[in-house]
Amino acid sequence: MRIERVTAGYLPGLQVDEVQWHVLPFQRNGMRLEVSVPMLTGPQMHALADRVREAANRHLRTMTVADIIDVIDRAIARLLDRNDPFRQQAEALLPVVSGYDADMVRLGLTGYFKTFRAAQLRRFVAEDFANPAVLDGFQPAPKGGAVRAYGPDLLVHSWAGNVPALSLWSLVCGLLVKAPAIGKLASAEPLFAGWFARLLAEIHPPLADCLAVVWWSGAGGEEADALYAKADTVLAYGGNHTLDALRKRLPVTTRFLPHGHKLGFGLIGAAALDTLKAPALARLAAWDVMRYDQQGCYSPHVFYVERGAPVSPRAFADYLAAELANLQRRFARRDLDLEESAAVAKWQQSVEWSAGDDLLIGPADAPWSVAYSDSLQSLSPTALYRTIYVVGVDSLDDVVPVVAAQREYLQTAGIAAGPENLYRLAELLGAAGVTRIAAIGSMSMPEAGWHHDGRFNLVDLVRMTEIEQSAEWAAQPFADYAD
Amino acid sequence: MDKATAQADLLVADLLAFIAADGCTDDQFNQLALRLFAHQYEFNAPFRSFCQRRGATLRNVKTWSDIPAVPIDAFKAMELRSEPASPNERVFMTSGTTGRAARGRHFHPQLDVYDLSMTRNFAKRFMQGVERMPMGILFPDEVAMPNSSLAHYLALAKSEFGTEDSRYYLTPEGLDVPGLCAALEESQRSGKPYALLGASFSLVHVMDALREQGCSFQLPAGSRILDTGGYKGQSRELPLEEFYADLARLFGVPRTHCINMYGMTELSTQFYDDGNATLPSVKSGPHWIRSRLVEPITGRDVPPGERGILVHCDLGNYNAVSTILTEDVALWADGGFLLLGRAEGAAAKGCSLAVEEFVKATAA
Repeated sequence: MRIERVTAGYLPGLQVDEVQWHVLPFQRNGMRLEVSVPMLTGPQMHALADRVREAANRHLRTMTVADIIDVIDRAIARLLDRNDPFRQQAEALLPVVSGYDADMVRLGLTGYFKTFRAAQLRRFVAEDFANPAVLDGFQPAPKGGAVRAYGPDLLVHSWAGNVPALSLWSLVCGLLVKAPAIGKLASAEPLFAGWFARLLAEIHPPLADCLAVVWWSGAGGEEADALYAKADTVLAYGGNHTLDALRKRLPVTTRFLPHGHKLGFGLIGAAALDTLKAPALARLAAWDVMRYDQQGCYSPHVFYVERGAPVSPRAFADYLAAELANLQRRFARRDLDLEESAAVAKWQQSVEWSAGDDLLIGPADAPWSVAYSDSLQSLSPTALYRTIYVVGVDSLDDVVPVVAAQREYLQTAGIAAGPENLYRLAELLGAAGVTRIAAIGSMSMPEAGWHHDGRFNLVDLVRMTEIEQSAEWAAQPFADYAD
Repeated sequence: MDKATAQADLLVADLLAFIAADGCTDDQFNQLALRLFAHQYEFNAPFRSFCQRRGATLRNVKTWSDIPAVPIDAFKAMELRSEPASPNERVFMTSGTTGRAARGRHFHPQLDVYDLSMTRNFAKRFMQGVERMPMGILFPDEVAMPNSSLAHYLALAKSEFGTEDSRYYLTPEGLDVPGLCAALEESQRSGKPYALLGASFSLVHVMDALREQGCSFQLPAGSRILDTGGYKGQSRELPLEEFYADLARLFGVPRTHCINMYGMTELSTQFYDDGNATLPSVKSGPHWIRSRLVEPITGRDVPPGERGILVHCDLGNYNAVSTILTEDVALWADGGFLLLGRAEGAAAKGCSLAVEEFVKATAA
């Protein structure tokens, strides 16, 4: 077996032998990867936070947003270059830590990185700020006076490991609002954030000390408390239980931006179900299920399919199963451990033994699973790892109250319907709590600048400082030119 | 007489003889397992359609390990029975800890097979040759819990193996600590070995009570403790090491005599270890039950040395289904298997939502 060792994290100002290291082992496809992650003490965390903050004051806050976009764009260009050592490392090692198919990771990374090019980032900023210059200096406010946006004094990220390179999203948000940042690596994907910090430092050395990437085991102890005590904003991804525990340990004055559990679903209208369109749509739907083995918050769990078209919901489920079988040949599902298999088996059994007529399409031991139900089902999670429910319904409108019952878990809905229906359903779903409506096939590929969980990525990070008109006027008499 | 019942009567007679024997060959086990399979395939409709979905027929099921394993959740969804319901049948139900979920039901038209399975095995593994002992039972009796297989099991233990002064110390009014202490003191004084039996969580409550009163015991040699069933959220959860260390310390019963029984409402036969001096202990069952360790999706045996999910083929289960797929993780060991806990279902690694988390969240 080939053994490779890498060091993760990014600790400006700290030498390798000054901190303790913990090894996270990953083993897949004849390769053992040992990832050393740094474990800091409380005082080290304090010093690191001070260092990052100080460096950002000097180097990051003095850059314009346009300059920052330029630096990120150059970093992303490197990550998109398949000959670049950073990219090669990502392609080689992320499949080992995540277990996802190497081709799936490669395609996923390219698609994801593309959304962070300069043009997209400008759009991203413009999405949140009518005048992006408010991030650089005071700008006249329509009501009078002037206004400026300041990023966090210290932003702490806590990442999840379900999607490789997930950390890029929040790291970029932090940079765009000029926040000094320290991120906590996910044990399931402890690599990408450290690489990105190093890449930035290489491209623009003044940024070298403005970011740090650390790790601790589980919820962490006093070192985590030391860091949280220094942060004024904490952005966290993960399960609701983890997020709840994290919220409880933060001072009330700390801004907490959680991204917790979500449940995606799709609506497929009769208009999309003729014999020409339905198979193509099933292929797109299968991609949404396949990408990262359904581990994204945007991944679909249930497709509600309308009856009354030439292709019945049951036939659509068959198409979907066939496409999942095809995709398995191109992008094999990752090997499941015993607990994951047990969860999948339990889900399959719940379908097989349900009191209704629900059935499981395809062999029970296939690395994907399509369940079909002819009666309206609640929106509830499948076992993930390419397990999907197809539910036949008389009308897509019937689905609205069903999904509305899971309001706190709603985020992405995929819709295949004509333009009028799209808008009509979007109104209903939006009111029910859905925050993102995407095409089938794009559910698991959010666009640049999307409002993650219906929030503003950048606006939520900043505070505004206003110079009121009264102050502006009151200053006039004190000017040199005052009469 | 109903055809299923008539056929079952013949089966039961043979089963009783089988259990009464001292052992069996692989061939004998297979023959009886296949007879049970044919019986259940014929009379248990939900089981038959499950077999058909899995492509298992009377023709291609050739050994006990070919019999499709029914997941324990099926006991919640369906009535798994070969004989029609009768007024005299006993129904054992799972505890249904999550509240929302339905309870699994195991129908016993008569308890002869269950009772013989229990007593034969209990005599050998727990009593170890002793005919009767004074017993303290830390669990409600059958009147309080008529649908509990454990209540029935413990009632059998008391009636078949307990001396006359044996009694229950868990009543609807709660735990009778003074009464139990008096019995333990009497055993200490007389030198007559004592047996304490109950749910693991009841033993935790008893130990907490004893610790509170600052008392502990040195029960005479030959005394023993049986615990079963885990904690089920009914007491604080103790790591096994601490649990057995505390039992040994508070009652003066060596860990070799602290025996754990592993059983399930869905089964008619129990597994025991030979004490808990080393953990995890090796569990094994009598000749009328056999187990496999499988990969849960494919149902295939896991390679030696790897963890798998337990499948049991229990010939005592003549009415429901003989072969069940548990949710318990185990590893093969010398003389049996090591029980490693329940497969809780993996938590999702991020913001996607897994079923178990969802169920917990919506049940809360």
